[in-house]
Amino acid sequence: MQEGLDLMPQIRDKARELLTSGAVDCVIGYERASDGLTARPLFAYEPNDVDKLIFDQTCAHNLARFLVNKRDSTVAIVAKPCDSRAINLLLAEKQIQRERVYVIGVVCPGIVEATWGQIGDKLQARCQLCREHTPLVYDFLVGEPPAEEPPAEPYHDVAEMEAKSAAEKHSFWAEQFARCIRCYACRQACPGCYCTECFAEQLDPLWVGIRIAPMENEVWHIIRAFHLAGRCIACNECERVCPVNIPLSLLNRKLEKDVLELFGFRSGLSAEAVPPLATFKKEERLGMSE
Amino acid sequence: MTQIISRKDLLSWLERLIGERIVIAPARSNGMVLFQRASRAEDIVLDFDNTALSPKESFLPLSEALFTVDKENGNIKLMPTTVDEETVFFGIRPCDARGMALIDAPLLAAPADALYQQHRARTTLIGLACSQAGPECFCTSMGIAPDDPSNVDIMLTKVDDSYIVQAITEKGKALLPSDLIAESEVMPPPAPSLQAVLTEGIVEVMPGVFEAPYWSRLADRCLHCNICAYVCPTCYCFDIRDYIDEGSIERVRSWESCQSPGFTRLAGGYDPRSTKGARLRQRFYHKLSYFPEHFGLIGCVGCGRCVRYCPVNIDIREVISDIQKLGAQSEC
Repeated sequence: MQEGLDLMPQIRDKARELLTSGAVDCVIGYERASDGLTARPLFAYEPNDVDKLIFDQTCAHNLARFLVNKRDSTVAIVAKPCDSRAINLLLAEKQIQRERVYVIGVVCPGIVEATWGQIGDKLQARCQLCREHTPLVYDFLVGEPPAEEPPAEPYHDVAEMEAKSAAEKHSFWAEQFARCIRCYACRQACPGCYCTECFAEQLDPLWVGIRIAPMENEVWHIIRAFHLAGRCIACNECERVCPVNIPLSLLNRKLEKDVLELFGFRSGLSAEAVPPLATFKKEERLGMSE
Repeated sequence: MTQIISRKDLLSWLERLIGERIVIAPARSNGMVLFQRASRAEDIVLDFDNTALSPKESFLPLSEALFTVDKENGNIKLMPTTVDEETVFFGIRPCDARGMALIDAPLLAAPADALYQQHRARTTLIGLACSQAGPECFCTSMGIAPDDPSNVDIMLTKVDDSYIVQAITEKGKALLPSDLIAESEVMPPPAPSLQAVLTEGIVEVMPGVFEAPYWSRLADRCLHCNICAYVCPTCYCFDIRDYIDEGSIERVRSWESCQSPGFTRLAGGYDPRSTKGARLRQRFYHKLSYFPEHFGLIGCVGCGRCVRYCPVNIDIREVISDIQKLGAQSEC
């Protein structure tokens, strides 16, 4: 982990100020987890709680996921750049109100790979590919933005998968999905999965049965991925929380690549941008451009 | 005198068992150790902390048809699922073996769950004592020991490159390979020591903290996924649905959990546990209050899987100690 990264005092001071003045009801940030090593979400309601706030390279969670739960109050949130893209997504999709969210943006050094009780020294794969080290939306910024951002990385992993035959792709994914236990942690951790009733729980019509078996699992994962096309902000929380190591980011990145190529669009870069799959342009009609 | 089996002979025995019946054993898969059906003894992992998922899947599968109904020449035929094959479940840890014994309490109480009963009766459990404890382990706080031979048919304890063999039940004795077992003077190593959480008095404290705001605050960070319930060796809730296809019906049960939205939704739409706090509270009340009230034991075995896999670190050890504090405060 990087030394000398001490953004904590600034985050705590701002949080204390917001709670003391009553500007917000709650500050959503990070505190140390029970292993004494990694981080977990913290909901600070009292000025006294803010001394628990931390920020370091173990702060993996995308806290924007909690904003829809706090719609009825005014909250402050500690946001890394990827989390800030999720905030933009939620704003663009009219799920939260800008004036009810105070964003404490954090310039992010990248998050390390870690599991409970164990911290690695390698950056998470998503962080190695990151192009935004400064949050895209914030009210208060902590940290020094880098002078320039790294160039876009090509989608090597996706291209490798695309080169395979349909049968090879299917057998790869069938094997991955077969071990899914349908705990829905991928959905629950996702800032973009906020439906009050998920299709997976709808009984009439029944989209996917309760049976936890390869076919049903496949239906679940394919629909989950499609619902995030042009919306996924690549925080990779779904993959991080998966208890059976399903490489969901590969599926998400394929959709990200397709949306980028087809529409030149990356989600969450602004709160005003209309997501391509939420709109329709006349020239997009099949065959119109011919 | 103790009976021992060398590591090499243990693998030969397992190879022999694989030829005779279904053998479920720990194996490496996608960066995890999981209980899987073994086809070769060499794939079986002998040195591991514990498996990522609990053994319950072999007895209460993720999904299983309870029965099928078919229409044949105008006659309706109901065929219950039966478990015919004998299974050896190898490598179960003492905590998980207690987990199975705990699930037995509700599922084998009359009227017994017929399918679960068959899975249990057709399976011989070979336990593997823990020679080291993981950072998440707290079995001793739940009245279990890392080398506890209760709840298995045969217990193996590693000593150097051999295993001490104890036949615990008649079923276990019948399975032992007498040709591969030797007599020895070797003594079992001391069991690893673990961190403890104070569980004494917790069952009595629980009823008094039901209305505490603690639960909704704890639920703030809960994602309400089903990881804790699905990795848990003592959670046994399920849902049932009929699959209907061309005149044939299959009644399927699948794992479900009290953390799911809609788990307690009733016909008409009312949900008695509609808030996140109420759902999370249910998990801890079931383990620490309702289960011990009905069956005499806390419904947790200290395997620590929920601690390890919870994406937001809702740590049952911390919850227990928080509740103890809340209870002490309310007494003042």
